[in-house]
Amino acid sequence: MTLSEVAERISQKIEAKGVSVDRQKVESKLRRLVDEFGVNLAEAERTVMSDLAREHKLTGVGGTSTEMHRIHDLVPGEWVTIEGKIVALSPSPSPSIAQNGIIADSSGAIRFVAWSRGNPPEMEYGQWYRIESAVINEYRGAPNLTIHSGTTISTVESDVPLIPSITPIAELRPGVGSVRAKTVQDWDVTHDRMLQTGLLGDETGTIKFVIWKEDGKEKLEPDTVYNIYYAVVDEYNGRLSLTLNSAMYIADEGDIEVGRNDTGASGVIVHVAPGSGLIKRCPVEGCNRTLSRQNYCPVHEIQPNFRYDLRLKAVLDDGTRARNILIQRDIVEELASLTLEEAIEVAENNPLGMDEVFIRVSNAVLGRYYTCGGNEFDGRLLVNRCAPMTFDPAELALLLNRAGGETA
Amino acid sequence: MNRRQISYEREPARRVFASELRETRVQFKEGEDEKSPTYVLLPSGVRANRILIVGTLTEKQRQGDQNIFYRGRVADPTGPFFIMAGSYQPEAMQQIARIEPPAFVAVVGKPNIFETPDGKSLLSIRVESISVVDRETRDLWVLDTARDTLDRIDAMGTTEDSQRAQEEYSIKPELYRKMVYDALSQIHL
Repeated sequence: MTLSEVAERISQKIEAKGVSVDRQKVESKLRRLVDEFGVNLAEAERTVMSDLAREHKLTGVGGTSTEMHRIHDLVPGEWVTIEGKIVALSPSPSPSIAQNGIIADSSGAIRFVAWSRGNPPEMEYGQWYRIESAVINEYRGAPNLTIHSGTTISTVESDVPLIPSITPIAELRPGVGSVRAKTVQDWDVTHDRMLQTGLLGDETGTIKFVIWKEDGKEKLEPDTVYNIYYAVVDEYNGRLSLTLNSAMYIADEGDIEVGRNDTGASGVIVHVAPGSGLIKRCPVEGCNRTLSRQNYCPVHEIQPNFRYDLRLKAVLDDGTRARNILIQRDIVEELASLTLEEAIEVAENNPLGMDEVFIRVSNAVLGRYYTCGGNEFDGRLLVNRCAPMTFDPAELALLLNRAGGETA
Repeated sequence: MNRRQISYEREPARRVFASELRETRVQFKEGEDEKSPTYVLLPSGVRANRILIVGTLTEKQRQGDQNIFYRGRVADPTGPFFIMAGSYQPEAMQQIARIEPPAFVAVVGKPNIFETPDGKSLLSIRVESISVVDRETRDLWVLDTARDTLDRIDAMGTTEDSQRAQEEYSIKPELYRKMVYDALSQIHL
């Protein structure tokens, strides 16, 4: 590494703190230490760094480049030095990226990207490396280790076995995570490049997973428990999902009682959405999609032998949050005091047809208080129990007291 | 975090008594965009883009020749709300058309402040939906609104919106507690 490269590195670190520096001055300070006083480059860097830090009253810059960090503790904005093992390498998405993958130590794992511009040495899968002066950035809501022109990479001999720590699904954060989970649902793939998608669950909850098509990638077996090491946790619209392409997954013995993400909510139904009431469903085995009024299924086209169903898509509002809810037939029948058979009869004998059922269901529930419970999924509460709220005189007494009974 | 996509979230319907809404005269828009939501700042210190009221529809009027719209009054224990539904709210208009006052109704709508020609400001609620409910729902709403109003008064000065409300309205918390108390005591008359 040359003097000017080191000067650049120092300047960048200081500038990251919002102070501008003169690179030539930095370089001449370094040169003076190295050439005139025979100080080695690493020591010169440390000295100039801490001089500048003192001069500008900065904290957290001096010395950080050689201090070791645990991967688990890394936060965006830091310059760090880590030692870790390459546990995944992904195909480079662009010529400007030399390598990308996942590096792990005993505390955790992080995604990394090495830019081609810095000419980084090629790292090998399974090998341990010491990475000095890398930067932690945020990429799609997750910390990401960036290897740039000022980063030094050296191999480290280590035979420490690396045991990934398993995270409960409810505690996953964007980044990299290892889970022990069961495949609870297998969905139709929505894209040509997708190998498999579905739902994984452990005791604490469930999460969507995706495997993209790639040589050597295998599907997960249904209802099987897997140890999944170093999957990528993505966040999209506030929801997390697991991408298994970087991960190693090994089927495991035993079973898991999958937790149900059960949530409850009380409030008023303030909106009944189109698509509520009586609907028609596609009769093709395993399809069950909602048909249009003209009996058209987006996949199986015209289906004259549809079957009827009742459902309610609505918004339950508690005054601080408006939640989308979806209620299935048996509960809609109860809330609207209307069975599916009666609804079909109404639709077939009324000039308004299915609209009449919508109006009846809507009139029965709109503007009323309910307590519902179910699984929250995809930003929507899938209701499996729901009852009208009833007036509680104790609540009235409590509120009268709160409002100040003595003033009356 | 800053560049994270913000997914669309429906504005909650705030619970507010008529006599608080009558005092409301601050209206503002968040953001420059044409579609940015408009809020009114309630004196108890929270912004409202949408509100829920449950009360008695005491009268309704059909007005206009070409552009038909409905006006109505909905009374809660503290006073009347003014509601309206025009041709931009066809469903709400048809719903009102079917209801004969007096009736207990639940109204979800957007509050709007208008300047009258004589310089007074008038708040009316543009109805999104109106439905007939029963007395128990009305009582539940009074409890709900009492609780939310007391919560807001207790949180006065702790949020940005409530600090702004304190500057704009300089309300007396004891008057609002009295209003809540009076509303609650009418439940079992």
